[in-house]
Order: sequence, then C-alpha cells, then structure tokens
Amino acid sequence: MTIPEPASGLPAEAREAWPYRPRYATVNGWRMHYVDEGEGHPILLLHGNPTWGYLWSDVIPTLVAAGHRVIVPDQIGFGLSEKPTHEQAHSLDGHASNLVALVRHLDLERLTVVCHDWGGPTGLAMALHEAARVRALVIMSTWAWPRPPAEFHTRIFPWRMMHAPLVGPYLLGNHAALAGRGTYLSVVGREKFRAEAQSVYEDVLPDPATRLLTWTWPRWIPLDDSARAIARFEWLEQGLSTTTWPTMIIWGREDEVFDADTFANRFKQMLPHAEGPHMVTGRHFLQEDSGAEIGVLVRDFLAKQDA
Amino acid sequence: MSSQDVSIITAPDLTGRRHEFVLREDRVGHYDEFRAFFVRTFDLYQIGLSEPGYLRAPSGMEYAVIFLGRSGEPFPAGVELFALPEALEPLNDASVDRDLWAIMGWMIDGVGPPWTREDLETTGRVYRVPAAM
Repeated sequence: MTIPEPASGLPAEAREAWPYRPRYATVNGWRMHYVDEGEGHPILLLHGNPTWGYLWSDVIPTLVAAGHRVIVPDQIGFGLSEKPTHEQAHSLDGHASNLVALVRHLDLERLTVVCHDWGGPTGLAMALHEAARVRALVIMSTWAWPRPPAEFHTRIFPWRMMHAPLVGPYLLGNHAALAGRGTYLSVVGREKFRAEAQSVYEDVLPDPATRLLTWTWPRWIPLDDSARAIARFEWLEQGLSTTTWPTMIIWGREDEVFDADTFANRFKQMLPHAEGPHMVTGRHFLQEDSGAEIGVLVRDFLAKQDA
Repeated sequence: MSSQDVSIITAPDLTGRRHEFVLREDRVGHYDEFRAFFVRTFDLYQIGLSEPGYLRAPSGMEYAVIFLGRSGEPFPAGVELFALPEALEPLNDASVDRDLWAIMGWMIDGVGPPWTREDLETTGRVYRVPAAM
C-alpha cells in the first residue's frame, strides 16, 4: 500500500506561485494562516468555500507592485489554517469574528476589503463591525442578503443533495466533491485549471475530516425564515445598504451559480455608487480565469481613490 | 441498487468484532425530514440512547448506527456509522464505500419526496463517485 506524501504545509506544486512567508495569528483560539506582503494601504483578500488564499495568487503581485500591503488569510477550516473537526465549531458569526480579530491584531487602517464567496458575508460583516478601519470594498461572486441566494440554492439536485445529512460528509468529505470536481466545474479554463491549480486546492484538504467546512458552509445559507443566519444576513443587507465607501463590483460572465443578472445587479441596486459591475471571463472561481485582470482592476480602482 | 439491499437487523453478536468508525454526521436535523426518518426507522423516541441501530449492507458487512444527543437540540442531533468487522481484520475500503453509497440510497428512499434516489444517483455521477458510476 502506498499513499501520497502528507500535505504538512504548502503543496509542492504551489511553491512557485505562492512564494510568500507563512504567518500565523490566533483568532478566537484558532490558528489562522495568512500572508502579509508589501507596504502601503492594506488590502485584505478574502476567499470562500472550498478555496484558500492561493485563489488570489494571480492578483497579489500586481497589487504589491502598485505599492499596497496585501494581507491574505486562510479562513479557519481551510488552506493552511487550523481545521476544526466538528461542525458546531463553525458559525457565520464565528468566522466574521475571526476576521475582526485578525484586522485588530494587525491594527489595519484604511483597509480595502476584497471578498469572494463566503469571504463576502464574513468580510462584509467584519467591515461593518470595524467600519472606522475601512477605506473601500471590492465585491465578487457573493451575496449579502437573507434569501434566497439564488434559485440554484433552492433545488435539491444538486445543491441540497450535496450537503444533505450524511450525504454531505460522504460526498464532500470522503469524495472531496467540492474541493475536487466541484471547483473544476466552476472555472472556464478547466484543462488549465486541472493542470496547474486543482491539486493545490485538493492537497490542503487531504482527508475527509479536513473537508468539514466544505459541507458546513452550505448549511449556513439561509433557505427559509427559520434559518439560523437569517438575522445576521438581514443586518448585513441593511448595514451594507447604508455604506458610502468607494466600492467596485467584479463578476464572472459565465458564473451560473451566482449569476451576474441576479447578484451583481442586486449589489448595484444596494450600492448605486459602486463602480461596475466589471465583467471578466470566469465562472464562480473567476480569479482562476482572470486573476491578473482582476489585479489590474483593483489596482486602478484604488488609484482613482488616491487621485 | 434498491433500498432492499440494506436491511435493519437485530443486535448482532459483537464477540470478537470491533467498531470501526466510517462516517459521522454532526447535524442530522439540518433538513429535519432526515432526523425524522431515523426517529421513525429506529423507534428512537422509545429507545433513545439505550442501544444503537444495526444495518446489514450489500457486502454483508454489518454496521452500527450510533445516535448522538446535543443539549438544546431535537434528538438525535447526530449520527455515526461504524462497520463491525472481525476484530483485527482491516476493512476493504472500496467495499465499505459501496456500502455507504447503498446506505445513502436507503436513507433517501426512507426520507421520501421531494428527496429522490434519482437525484442522489445523478449527484453521485456528476461528482464521479465510483459507487454511482
């Protein structure tokens, strides 16, 4: 019997694209991994499910070269951060609070929050809570209102079935359905992704127990008025709607999960002062298809704020 | 594969066997119809935590179904599945995986509409679960 070398840290295939020094902070008792590169006004790049900071690997160099400090944490349960082993260790408020703890630990000021997927509800909640620290927002392929997130999320096939009781731990845990094929299906350039990046996402979630958050996060999406996160999302929608921070919306043209017509347009209605939506090549994981272009968009957006 | 391939059995003789953990669900009431299925199927409002349930899967392997309680939540809050092999015999991982897939199908049949085995099997094929191919 042979098994691959354990993924004790950064996957070997990621080292060239991810040459950054690992740093750690304790947030709510958990060990959070992050990178902190460059100098200047800080930018916080937030990933969602089932990715990690590597999602931003094509975005970081442009922003650092433009004179920004770029901080990229791995949410607790993903990437190189600690991975709790039972579901009740995870909550929406807990993850948002982890980010609050990080920005306080680093004492970040004039902060640009760039969020994707669950980096949205968690990062935007952190931004509202730490409003005095925030300079600007960049929003992509996420949501910030109670329900329904999308028609896709109301369907049993495939969405509810994927994370149904016992099916979730079997399919997303034992068979890595979201970290593996699910991510592959949610990019445009699939063969390039398979060759260059897929294993980087899979290798940091090597065992079923390490994939716990891949089926726990979907269970926090409110689907009816009794959902446990409904009040937090109502607060988020109401609070975000009153913000006047410079904001940019970026979306993937091919995103069929968080489709632009529904999601980008709703953000635009909530935040009519926002720039965009800028449409780029991409499904849900648009950074994998258009990371360098996204880096330029964020760089130029922030340059306009400084002008 | 049909739900008849998985059967509920009476408590087997556990002499010379071990409990080998194979799957855990921390939140069986996430969709309450799943929790209700286990309550109904194993008469849990009568039995509570006094004894596990037992299943026989297509391979012939028997499994213990261990229910978990959590203060403040409807019972059961969670479920664990344990294979019951001979004490020192390693599991056949592929066989256990096929058994688990069959147990998923048996469970979905028992939960009933709008949950369907067809949707489960289609989901399994989309994500290329070997047992579903």
